[in-house]
Amino acid sequence: MGEQVGQKPKRELPRSRVLVAEQTAKIYRDAFAAKARGEKVGWSTAIFPQEICETLDIPVLYPENNAASISAKHLGGELIEHAEGAMQYPSRICSYARLNMALADKIQDPAYSKADPLMPSPDFLLLANNSCTQLMKWYECLSRDLGIPIFFIDCLFNYYEEKPAKHKITYIRKQIEKYIWDMEAFSGKKFDWDKFLEVQKRSQINSKLFDEIIRLNMRTPAPMSGFDFFNYMSCLVLARGKESTTVIFEQLKKEVEEHIANNTTTFPSEEKYRVHWEGIACWPNLGHNLKTLKNYNVNAVINGYVTAWNVDYEPGDLDSMASAYASSSTNSLSTNTIMNMRADTIENYNCDGMLCHVNRSCKMMTFHIFVGRHIIEERTGVPCANFDGDQSDERIYSEAQFETRLQGLVEIMQHRKEANHG
Amino acid sequence: MFTLGIDIGSTACKAVILQDGARVEARAVVPLGTGTSGAGDVLQKVLAVKNRQIEDMERILVTGYGRFTFAGADSQKSELSCHARGVNFLFPSVRTIIDIGGQDIKAMRVNAKGFLENFVMNDKCAAGTGKFLDVMARIINVKVNDLGEIGLKATEEVNISNTCTVFAESEVISKLSAAVRIEDLVAGIHRSVAKRVASLAFRNGIVPEVAMSGGVALNKGVVALLEEEIKRNILVHEDCQLAGALGAAVLAYEELHK
Ligand code: SF4
Repeated sequence: MGEQVGQKPKRELPRSRVLVAEQTAKIYRDAFAAKARGEKVGWSTAIFPQEICETLDIPVLYPENNAASISAKHLGGELIEHAEGAMQYPSRICSYARLNMALADKIQDPAYSKADPLMPSPDFLLLANNSCTQLMKWYECLSRDLGIPIFFIDCLFNYYEEKPAKHKITYIRKQIEKYIWDMEAFSGKKFDWDKFLEVQKRSQINSKLFDEIIRLNMRTPAPMSGFDFFNYMSCLVLARGKESTTVIFEQLKKEVEEHIANNTTTFPSEEKYRVHWEGIACWPNLGHNLKTLKNYNVNAVINGYVTAWNVDYEPGDLDSMASAYASSSTNSLSTNTIMNMRADTIENYNCDGMLCHVNRSCKMMTFHIFVGRHIIEERTGVPCANFDGDQSDERIYSEAQFETRLQGLVEIMQHRKEANHG
Repeated sequence: MFTLGIDIGSTACKAVILQDGARVEARAVVPLGTGTSGAGDVLQKVLAVKNRQIEDMERILVTGYGRFTFAGADSQKSELSCHARGVNFLFPSVRTIIDIGGQDIKAMRVNAKGFLENFVMNDKCAAGTGKFLDVMARIINVKVNDLGEIGLKATEEVNISNTCTVFAESEVISKLSAAVRIEDLVAGIHRSVAKRVASLAFRNGIVPEVAMSGGVALNKGVVALLEEEIKRNILVHEDCQLAGALGAAVLAYEELHK
């Protein structure tokens, strides 16, 4: 969920990337300005009904996205050390949590400025446990340390059905309704239902636009290096309900269509192999990942992580919204459901293989892979390879290991291609 | 025509000269890994076997951890493909290969032609690797090459519950101070390696026949316990440690005939 990540661009950044940087900077600036005016600022988990605070015009920032950005700039190590050392958190918990709890501690000192981007200290927390249950403990610690309230939406996982069951939808809808009333009381602002509908519509326009853009990468060769999509995820996390995101996505769509028309691509070498990337990016190691993929002519054309933010629902229908927030994160789904989605994607994007990030932090996203690879291999016939890493903790990743695994995968893909072409 | 395959591993360098892609002309092993004089030494050693010159080699293919740093290579390939081809050369009927190297464990499935079909490798952890055995041999004060014979003389196994090399090291030290028999302790160490490797092999699916490659395959104690764990016979060739280098020489030959 970072922005402006990866290798230092040699070429001028495309306009859409400049717009992303401007939008992100403005969101952070606005949050600091609100805080300075004495208004309330929130921190939220990544997949939370953000439409409500957007409607109430209350600034919210997203620790997971923030941690990704800090990690991509190689600034996370010191914070992680602070969490494990002075704050005594175990190294086994999610590195986003370690990094963010350390940041929350550090920013209590007004002179602290090392992390980038910095966030203002929050006045309240928004928590939905639809991605994992560790989020609950993380936010509980923040709440206790900072003495601030949590607005919590409890989401049930969907391990036994493909779509959330009726009783789960009702359970979540009731909580969303209560959250709206609670937020009205907490902020002292009146909730405008007409504006809410507009924000919901905008959120859907943006989600659908992003989906359309990603689908353009089904083309062979792909117009985009799949890693480029990581740069736009922040729009959906931070600003899914904003018009400025629509402007960015329309610009991006134009750029991708131009690549298609001119038969050009942002992938920096010849695309000989197309793979599905499974799991969160290794933010601090993105440069090495991309360089190695480029050297082996492998474009990771699609990954399940960038599509996780497409919260797809019917505007005006709270049940539909509840259902979307209950199931948008694949972590809430069964291994079978996820792997069938991945197999569809592998077929639709014409992938030759699957490269799976065994992420030390995110067990929820990783454990599916071990059983899942058999489902993928059986359904699609493509080979899968795993490598070790972490979304923020640089100590886990091994450059040599990544290269060997990728090379092994490439050699299988190459042999299969040669065999298929006689 | 001669092709040369060199496998620059983390703890040893191996080299094979192959004649016409079919006959092993010379082989050499140097117990020094990447970053040492091992690669240069193994080259000199393998050429010296039949008094060959480097110019006699039509193509040199390098594999292993140090594959990117060898200056004289014509090409390089991952150790996965090289082990697959090497074992296929030695045992064409093998479909599952288990390789325990200095710092990697690999479980590979190969087709009849020795092409890699899929693989899994250990995570970033030394448990179950050659390095693990090196550390244990050092504490017990025996040669790592003798571990196999020692373990086979066990009358009962001492249970080693830690898989982490560092914790297993202190566990072994505490057992030593409790005066257990060395043979039983070595068998316990081998069991912990076998269990770890078996779970990786199961994860990748085991299709008969099964062979082991890599230096640890020479350890009869580990092989016997691994056979027990996976409930299958394991083929071990006397050249098992050279499988990566042999595969590299085979692939070098094929590259010339593409
Ligand atoms: S463990 Fe995974 S799902 Fe949970 S907070 Fe960390 S990255 Fe997100």
